[in-house]
Amino acid sequence: MAKILDKNHSNHTKLVKLRQSYDWLSEELIGLTEIYESKKQKELNKFIASANKKLEKSAFLACDKEGYAQSELEAKLQKYDVRAYMSQRKINHSAVKAIFKAVAAGEDYSAVLEKRSAEMKALNEKRAKYIAALESKKQAFLAKNNVTDTAPYDALKAELDAQYSAKKKELDEKYGAKQAAHAAKLEAKRSKISAQIAELKKNSPAAYTLPDDVLLEVKGLKMYFGGLKAVDDLNFTVKKGEIFGLIGPNGAGKTTVFNCITQFYKPTGGEIHFATKDKEVISLTDFEVHDIVLQGISRTFQNIEVVKEVSVLDNLLIAATRHYSSNLFVQMLHLPLLRREERMITARADKILNYMDLYSYRDRLAWGLPYGVLKRIEIARALMCNPQLIILDEPAAGLNESETKDLAALINKIRTELGCTILLVEHDMSLVMNICDHICAISFGRKLADGTPAEVQASKEVQEAYLGVGGE
Amino acid sequence: MSNRMNKYLSDSLLKQESERQGAELWGKLIKRPTFSFAVFAVVMILIQALSKAGLIGSSFVNAVGSTLIFCIVGLGFCLLLGYSALASLGTAGFIAIGSYSAYYCLAEWGLTIGIGFIVAILFAVVIGIAVGYISLRIEGIYLAIVTLGISEIIKELLSALCDTIKIKGTQITLLGIESIKLKTDVIYYGIVVILFILMFVTQNLMNSPTGRAMLAMKNSTSAAQAFGVSLMKYRLMAFTISIIYASIAGFMYMLYIRYVSNSMGNLFTLSMSLNVLGAVIIGGMKSIWGTIGGMFIIYGIDQMFLQDIPFFNENPTFITLFCGILVIVVVMFYPGGLAQLALELKYKLASRKQKIKEGIYGKDLG
Repeated sequence: MAKILDKNHSNHTKLVKLRQSYDWLSEELIGLTEIYESKKQKELNKFIASANKKLEKSAFLACDKEGYAQSELEAKLQKYDVRAYMSQRKINHSAVKAIFKAVAAGEDYSAVLEKRSAEMKALNEKRAKYIAALESKKQAFLAKNNVTDTAPYDALKAELDAQYSAKKKELDEKYGAKQAAHAAKLEAKRSKISAQIAELKKNSPAAYTLPDDVLLEVKGLKMYFGGLKAVDDLNFTVKKGEIFGLIGPNGAGKTTVFNCITQFYKPTGGEIHFATKDKEVISLTDFEVHDIVLQGISRTFQNIEVVKEVSVLDNLLIAATRHYSSNLFVQMLHLPLLRREERMITARADKILNYMDLYSYRDRLAWGLPYGVLKRIEIARALMCNPQLIILDEPAAGLNESETKDLAALINKIRTELGCTILLVEHDMSLVMNICDHICAISFGRKLADGTPAEVQASKEVQEAYLGVGGE
Repeated sequence: MSNRMNKYLSDSLLKQESERQGAELWGKLIKRPTFSFAVFAVVMILIQALSKAGLIGSSFVNAVGSTLIFCIVGLGFCLLLGYSALASLGTAGFIAIGSYSAYYCLAEWGLTIGIGFIVAILFAVVIGIAVGYISLRIEGIYLAIVTLGISEIIKELLSALCDTIKIKGTQITLLGIESIKLKTDVIYYGIVVILFILMFVTQNLMNSPTGRAMLAMKNSTSAAQAFGVSLMKYRLMAFTISIIYASIAGFMYMLYIRYVSNSMGNLFTLSMSLNVLGAVIIGGMKSIWGTIGGMFIIYGIDQMFLQDIPFFNENPTFITLFCGILVIVVVMFYPGGLAQLALELKYKLASRKQKIKEGIYGKDLG
């Protein structure tokens, strides 16, 4: 409780909020062009549709009179056939009913069949008559318009083209101005927020400093469960932009370390420092487990924890729960604020789904999706919160060789393209040795070796931990 | 179909598109849940209007009215059980809060309906947060037992305060004006309007970040926490909302029935809480329509129809038996409740429609 009342802590909470709204505004600014473009396109499409409607008839008259007449005829005939089908069904139904009645009464039902065939015949005759009428209408039309003349079409088209370009210019100006005004408004807000952030940073002196390139520092981490020392005096640092691997035999305490970093467990002792986006160094142990995601750390789980009764898209939206600023009242009435936020976050989710090659699953329930897809959904969900550090807990568990290869490529892609730092626990040594820049090997909660993959492989302690102590 | 026809069709696609959009707009309006809620509200209002015209018996309308009150309770329960997976057996006690606030505000202190309504909600919020803060650290069957105990405490306290609560018709006034007295039929309309508003609000909550966070919490607490869902906050929210709904229902019950005796009747008891639970399970925990259907089955069927049948009229225990068998059958064959049944029927109908279309247009177009 004392920590929560701490001035630095409250400053930090303010800073996180400001940073969130700053990111939000930046996202809104990027999405602005798309919104106005789509608005403009909508109006243009309306115009094109009406213009085409006007052009349609004259186009047919200009080039293919017979085709136009024939298609008109066929369209009418099709409509007629739909109606005819219904009356046919009616006849059949009543015939069947009558037959049942007759059979039940023990009478002869041949009269019913005769009546039905007569009715069908009448129907067919009616159809033939209708076709003849349409045919004569068509001939009359062709006789009336027997001269080929493309001039009216050309004139109309030129006129409409001119109208279109004028309309487009007008819309460009209108929406361009609107967009510029909107962007200026957002920009002003953003600069105000960034000024506030700078002010706040100046006022809160750093309690602890990390070297510039370090993102996460674990120092003397201890986690005891009663007498069991799951993690004992563990030290390591994760640098910005690297893929850091934590390895160790079963029961070495790797997942416990992760749970300590994400505050699922409150460590018995030791410090965990993390450099946020604002280059502010925070101690993660000061935060509640559900506040960790706000600091820029997101994680995946060893056994997949996707919500199975909602769609894949909703799974991603769940990860962005803390990004909404609308309160309960707004949510109860679905006021415009929520709708706007919903649209923006859905756009972000769509982008991530595309990035992760998951877009085809967007609206499907997560129930019953293949294992590999669920794994990718987990990573996509971790990406939803704009994290700096992604913690992957055994990402390759249960995947086959080719899937593991794809996963390695994906992790590399996320690191290079999105600039996320990745911390992973893995049993699959080929994956770890391939992609990790830095590895820390632990056993029974203690560090064995720390360094590049080659160094760790060469370490004698690591070999002993994995293979047992052997005589030379 | 000829080639020319195809060409014509592709050329006039834009025209069809605009026509289709017009149809879609109407289709969208119809498909909106709010539209169906409004239709439901209008039907319920029509029932009262028809009874005024003498076409429907007043006992039937009374049964519908009290069922609608329980529908309000069910909506809150739907959020609590279906979305947050918290089972509460304390519903009866929370309904009693609303009823007693109605009695004290209107009959004892002579306040108006509006103020009484706000007091009922305030009491619900205070008790919800206090009880929730203590008891929501546990879940599952333990929470059910704790809420049951709290409900019994509330009920005993309230009945010790005043055993028989009664409101006279003259005490129900709007805006404190003596001349405007609300009769039972006006209260009935009020119930329908409140139910409609709460259905709308509940639907919105279910489709908002809050509803999704609750679902996440229900499925995996650790994943929910990792993505910023505070368990305590959302559990408290669901719990308090359900208590507010129950309190509103209790308030409306007091206005509608106007007489509750704790020692004589068996109103605010465990069986009421269990009935609400049963109805929500029968209907489908995650569905508003399912919940309302379940309420109509549990509370509606016996009062509306079965009581008129001589056999059930003579042996009222058989009504309970009937409901019990229904619960067993539904849980055995449709664990998702009636909502699941409706969904399956809908798919069947859709596939049949498709077949008819294929019969007319051929396979590729249908």
